[in-house]
Amino acid sequence: MSENNVKADRGETPAILEIRNLQKSFSSLSVLKDISLRVERGNVISIIGPSGSGKSTLLRCASFLETADGGDILYDGNYAMRDGVYASKAELNRYKTLFGLVFQNFNLFPHYSVLKNVTEAPILHGENREEVRERAMEILKKMGLEGRENAYPYQLSGGQQQRVAIARALAMRPEVLYFDEPTSALDPELTGEVLKVIRQLAEEKMTMVVVTHEMPFAKAVSNHVIFMDSGVIVEQGDPANVFENPREDRTKQFLRVFER
Amino acid sequence: MSLLTMIIKMSEGLGKTCAIFFLTLLFSLPLGMIVALLRMSKVKIVSMITRFFITILRGTPLMLQLLAVTYGPYYLFGTSVARNKLIPVVIAFAINYAAYFAEIYRGGIESIPVGQYEAAEVLGYTKLQTFLRIILPQVIKRIMPSITNEVVTLVKDTSMAFTVSYQEMFTIGKQIANSQTSFMPFVVAGVFYYVFNAIVDYVMGRIEKRMDYYR
Repeated sequence: MSENNVKADRGETPAILEIRNLQKSFSSLSVLKDISLRVERGNVISIIGPSGSGKSTLLRCASFLETADGGDILYDGNYAMRDGVYASKAELNRYKTLFGLVFQNFNLFPHYSVLKNVTEAPILHGENREEVRERAMEILKKMGLEGRENAYPYQLSGGQQQRVAIARALAMRPEVLYFDEPTSALDPELTGEVLKVIRQLAEEKMTMVVVTHEMPFAKAVSNHVIFMDSGVIVEQGDPANVFENPREDRTKQFLRVFER
Repeated sequence: MSLLTMIIKMSEGLGKTCAIFFLTLLFSLPLGMIVALLRMSKVKIVSMITRFFITILRGTPLMLQLLAVTYGPYYLFGTSVARNKLIPVVIAFAINYAAYFAEIYRGGIESIPVGQYEAAEVLGYTKLQTFLRIILPQVIKRIMPSITNEVVTLVKDTSMAFTVSYQEMFTIGKQIANSQTSFMPFVVAGVFYYVFNAIVDYVMGRIEKRMDYYR
């Protein structure tokens, strides 16, 4: 593992996720063109941009749901993909334990109770049933779902379902949590409760990458904002700068739409 | 021959009717799943061959398939016709129903949103765990009404065993009808099938109800 580890080379703490020159196309359509980014521990990164800009594809490549065509993906300084070549299945499975993913459409398991949704994966990974259960109850409480552990997903509102999905991801104790437009499938009055728990996680220094259309949220919660358009990172930096003084015309144009 | 004698004589064939019914389900339900998975195989040649066999089994009469399985070996290889006709009958039924079940399974599996697979993958479920724990239970719930349909049809299809003179209830009834020039055995047979299917309906309804706890 040591030769595969960049942190040893440089004597620095590796980023939990580092992506270099990532490329991905769907047949002839190039969706990601040379994307590079670092996710340091404790950071909250928002990725904004028009639909079709590649934001979700970027997250899906980082979570191995999509196979990238070229570039590097490093988890904790280890190559999950090096120059377009993926590491072994066993290694990828190890890196998979480092991140969690929250989907736009929740993707809860409808035939499982809330509690089973949250506890089954860690139990299948060989963790102690009682410990997992206790941890799950704690997380559910934090998500404001106390007393709902025996409910089934269909009995919950969209906002509650998404909070269960967040609890399910957290129960795996990931080091970084990815959100793929977590509020886009919700009624406007329900987005607040989901954003609130994400904000709460940010305060607890949970490392997160959030693809979102909620500009005020991105501005308030993240400490780094990435603006993507047509498969490239057009602009990135401190939220105050990106939102208040965007340098690029495309960013200005995009943000103008949200001002109205 | 009195009606009661008819009923008693035909009842003696009910065991064999039930044997066809239960053995066919026992073999065709799992076999259908294997066929469905082959049909959905990413290896093109495998899915094409499977598809071809499914079209044959669904596109030709079950009666013909019964005859082919029972007497085909005799005409092809000169082997003697099986003494116990239950074996070729169940083979023919199981293969035929597996083809139908396979298409039902396939429809069910393909109706599960891809997000279920993705969620399981990100959570570290293995492929087998994903299929057995996440996909299959949802598939079963979705396809239950179609399965019930097939099972009800199977009850009635058992009567087709008369084409190879397997002594199940309907075959006996037909023999009595011929010898007595009476229509009564067919009425009795109709009642038998109706009651059988009432039980099937009840049982399947109970199973469906047990999966009603979620949507």
